[in-house]
Amino acid sequence: MRGVDRLCLAHLWLAFAAFVGAAVLGVWQMWVRSPLGAHTGTPGDYYMSVTAHGVAMAYVLSTFFIMGFGYFVAVTALQRPLPGQGWAWAAFVAGVIGVVMALVSIALGKASVLFTFYPPLTATPWFYIGLILVVAASWVWCVLMFVSMAAWKRKNPGRPVPLAMFGTVANALMWLWTTAGVAAELLYQVVPAAMGFVQTVDVGLSRTLFSWTLHAIVYFWLIPAYIAFYTMLPRAAGGRLYSDTMGRLTFIFFLIYSLPVGLHHLLMDPEHGNGTKFIQVLLTAFVAAPTVLTIFTIPASLEIAGRLRGGRGVFGWIAALPWDRPMVLASGLSFVMLGFGGLGGLINMAYGMNAMVHNTSWVTAHFHLIYGGTVVIMYFAIAYEIWPRLTGRQHESFSPLRWQLWLWFVGMMVMTLPWHWLGLQGQWRRVANFNYDNPIIASWGPLVIVSLAGGVLLLASALLFVRNLVVLHRSVQPAPTSPLYALAVVPPRHVPAALNGFGLWNVLVLASMLMAYGYPIAQFVIAPSPSAIVHRTE
Amino acid sequence: MPVDQPRPAHNPLEESHIDEVALSTVLRTVPLGAAVLAGSAVALVVLGYLAIYLFVFLPRGIVG
Amino acid sequence: MTDQPRETHERWVLGTELTWAFGVGVLVAATISIIVFTALTLNINPPSNVERIDPKTLHLSGEFSEQNLGTLVAADGTVTARIIATQFAFVPHCIALPRGRPVTLRLASPDVIHGILITGTNVNTMVVPGYVAQVHTEFTKSGELLMPCHEYCGLGHSEMWATVQVLSAAEFKPDSDGRVSCARR
Repeated sequence: MRGVDRLCLAHLWLAFAAFVGAAVLGVWQMWVRSPLGAHTGTPGDYYMSVTAHGVAMAYVLSTFFIMGFGYFVAVTALQRPLPGQGWAWAAFVAGVIGVVMALVSIALGKASVLFTFYPPLTATPWFYIGLILVVAASWVWCVLMFVSMAAWKRKNPGRPVPLAMFGTVANALMWLWTTAGVAAELLYQVVPAAMGFVQTVDVGLSRTLFSWTLHAIVYFWLIPAYIAFYTMLPRAAGGRLYSDTMGRLTFIFFLIYSLPVGLHHLLMDPEHGNGTKFIQVLLTAFVAAPTVLTIFTIPASLEIAGRLRGGRGVFGWIAALPWDRPMVLASGLSFVMLGFGGLGGLINMAYGMNAMVHNTSWVTAHFHLIYGGTVVIMYFAIAYEIWPRLTGRQHESFSPLRWQLWLWFVGMMVMTLPWHWLGLQGQWRRVANFNYDNPIIASWGPLVIVSLAGGVLLLASALLFVRNLVVLHRSVQPAPTSPLYALAVVPPRHVPAALNGFGLWNVLVLASMLMAYGYPIAQFVIAPSPSAIVHRTE
Repeated sequence: MPVDQPRPAHNPLEESHIDEVALSTVLRTVPLGAAVLAGSAVALVVLGYLAIYLFVFLPRGIVG
Repeated sequence: MTDQPRETHERWVLGTELTWAFGVGVLVAATISIIVFTALTLNINPPSNVERIDPKTLHLSGEFSEQNLGTLVAADGTVTARIIATQFAFVPHCIALPRGRPVTLRLASPDVIHGILITGTNVNTMVVPGYVAQVHTEFTKSGELLMPCHEYCGLGHSEMWATVQVLSAAEFKPDSDGRVSCARR
């Protein structure tokens, strides 16, 4: 473990440092948008902040957390050293350079294009090159995950790959597939435009290439939370994982169903027709499957734990669970947010209802709730769980950890629930300041202030989170030696190759991507859209 | 009695601390509670979805 | 773990998981059917008119030249509003539309990506340079609605919005060319 401890901690600290900085910016943004701060700050300041906040939360927090957690799983679940540690460190350094390039570009005002960077709006090329470096670093991580698993399988022929690693490799594979879209957009269209080699851009193509990445990226963020649900939570609760097979199927379903449906982010776009959009909506329904399996399998696992602890009756097992343990508490809160966030997502993906919510605050509220809430609360839980094993020290008290998790949950609900409602009223996105003299907009003011209050709670929680980790580094309690990963009710002795590797699924992904994106992209190659002039924002 | 496969190598992070008899007892009831909980949650989400469709979306007008 | 309970547990777990999956599958299929049925019978669609137009020459002539913008009632009675979305204003800034009649909105951008929604309605579309965005709808209530640009289009994005006046039949009076401007308030 020793060698990889520093590697994991480096990735995780970078992720959480970006997270705290972004949280501060987030509160400032909410203040400026509200009636309380209505004449504070310029649009230049605001869009710089939003770009930094989005890049930090969506690209830095997520990617580096997932890489650090992945290295941890590769070593602890497989019980062997990490291959290619030199490569891992080199990738980390490249990633750090990339983050610095991107953030400096933003701070200089040369990259106010938001984390979605839709051309023809074009930033300084250094911004994009910075992001490309981060993605390249993550691709090195992907390869190391594959190599780890392959090496373990050679040494353990016929045995099932431990579920935590299976999920991690599924995630890595999905990430490689999904980043191909944004990589193509950046390398083929955006960077040449940013460097001045081309003066126009095919916006139909760029929207389509970016959409390729847009859906599976959120599952890239989500899967680590599901790895915790399946492999850590049952152990933390004192029970067993109800079904190891369902765990494997969940990760496989995410891999095959989340990739081809990116076009549902373009339901309001004029460059694709009804037929494509309707098929995309139908396909998207399938990606609900792994979550639907999970909301049964994980409670069943918890029910085992609750009944073993004496819980009786239909619901008695819930109260009997050890809610004082951070992993258990975080998971319960995560599931509540998943209910609301999932409902919102189903509405977003609807063939008709998307028009009601597209580019309103409903969308912003949704992804803050489902990613910032459901997923990131599990990042906290995972950090609290693995930090002791990385540092050799145990938390002196779980109470501040529970406070931090509750603050996050309450803050997220208070911030996002009114925000969904405002979206339905027509409040639109990415606004630096609202004109509260307009009566329609003025009626939104009170709920905007409520959302702001939620945001302040979130910032408090973010600071408390970092405090809890810093304090752990100085703790005198020795780290736990207890088991970390859950056992299944029926621990598998042998699983079919399809549930132990990804050869078959890779072929299926290729076929489905060709089917879903083949014509939508090819049409722009055969007949490029009338091009738009590059608009530099520097 | 079929020949068993070689026992897997021991991962100390995955040991079992649960009494197998207790597990079997508990598995007579599980997953009733989970089914009721998850089923209620799914039902609520579906009802919420239909309610928003019928009472918020459709009244705002037809678009095509 | 001996094999007897193991096999029993395995069958139980698999059976319950399949039952759950089946039950939810039925529920989800029923919900989707309701939605598809209403969508087909009510003819609700996302804006999907794939029509290309050169953003670099929009202003020069043809459909989106300046004198052709705004609301026009054609000889056959169809109502069409043509709007340009540009950094950082809509042209025209106020659009008059009738209540209770089918209308068509057609938008184009000469520069970057914009988008619109109309508050209180389901009118929503991206406006992507290179394409004409088109939405058909029918307004059920008269009043003054906001039509903001809802996609980030640069530093002036927050100031970019138009007004939609939904007028009653009495107020919606085309002039001799078939044009309708916003009523003075």
